[in-house]
Amino acid sequence: MSEYHGCELPEDLFYDLDYVWVRPEDDGTLTIGVTDPAQTMSGRLQKARIKKIGTHLDAGRHVATLESGKWAGGVPVPFAGEVIARNEALLEDPHLINVAPYSDAWIARIKPDDPQHALDNVKTGPDAIEALEAWIKRYGVQCMRCSD
Amino acid sequence: MADIDQIMEHDHERLDQLLGQSAHAVSTGAWREAAHLLEVFRHGIVDGHMVVEESTLFPAFERKEGGDDHPLTALLRKGHQDLRIFFEEMAEAIQDQDAETFDDLLSTVQSILKQHDAKEEMELYPYLAAALPDRGEAAGKRILACEAETPS
Repeated sequence: MSEYHGCELPEDLFYDLDYVWVRPEDDGTLTIGVTDPAQTMSGRLQKARIKKIGTHLDAGRHVATLESGKWAGGVPVPFAGEVIARNEALLEDPHLINVAPYSDAWIARIKPDDPQHALDNVKTGPDAIEALEAWIKRYGVQCMRCSD
Repeated sequence: MADIDQIMEHDHERLDQLLGQSAHAVSTGAWREAAHLLEVFRHGIVDGHMVVEESTLFPAFERKEGGDDHPLTALLRKGHQDLRIFFEEMAEAIQDQDAETFDDLLSTVQSILKQHDAKEEMELYPYLAAALPDRGEAAGKRILACEAETPS
């Protein structure tokens, strides 16, 4: 696990180099969430809406919208696909994203239309970590762990 | 002509009103009118306001403040990118006559616009008259021309 300015950046995930991480699952689906620096910049999240199971999304469309007291925005999917699962716990407790952005606070699981090319627009490995560190530096983000 | 910061702030207010009119049409089930009003709003903000900002105002600020990787304009450009997608999703909700989805999107978009506009009005626009070589006159004229072509 890389860490920069206190922000955790798991090296095994794929990133859109902005807000979103993507994790390939064994069954060919892809799990999506938001990164540690992104949740930090957003502030304490108070509202989360996630698209219903069965919704088809084109690449770039929002699978979820999140709101804090100082920020609101969408969570875009980097590939086209169908929502096959969503994290219902986040609808009740959006703040979970601030606490465990890479584990308990996954947002949705998507079945990609084109599995061969679903990861074409995301990056992983050292280049991705370097780009995310530049993102953290640009916005002056300092991550701190929330305990509740 | 008014200063560029006043022109841009007035345009925010005008666009907010257009979005509000579309939302009102949705609430009364006037779907065709809602679609028309949303398109008038989208045209005004995407093809007018955002284009002027991205082509003229942001670059002027970046030249003055040290490059195109400035966190303020990076954040504002990202906001524009998100908003363009939200406007497409709102148009689809109207097309589907789905008031619940439209209202959810409207709530998020209004939150984004409130924060985005405040950031521009407090941190960006006040610098522009000094940063632009013509003190913002050309950009102001383009915004006023967009306002003038908006159907009443």
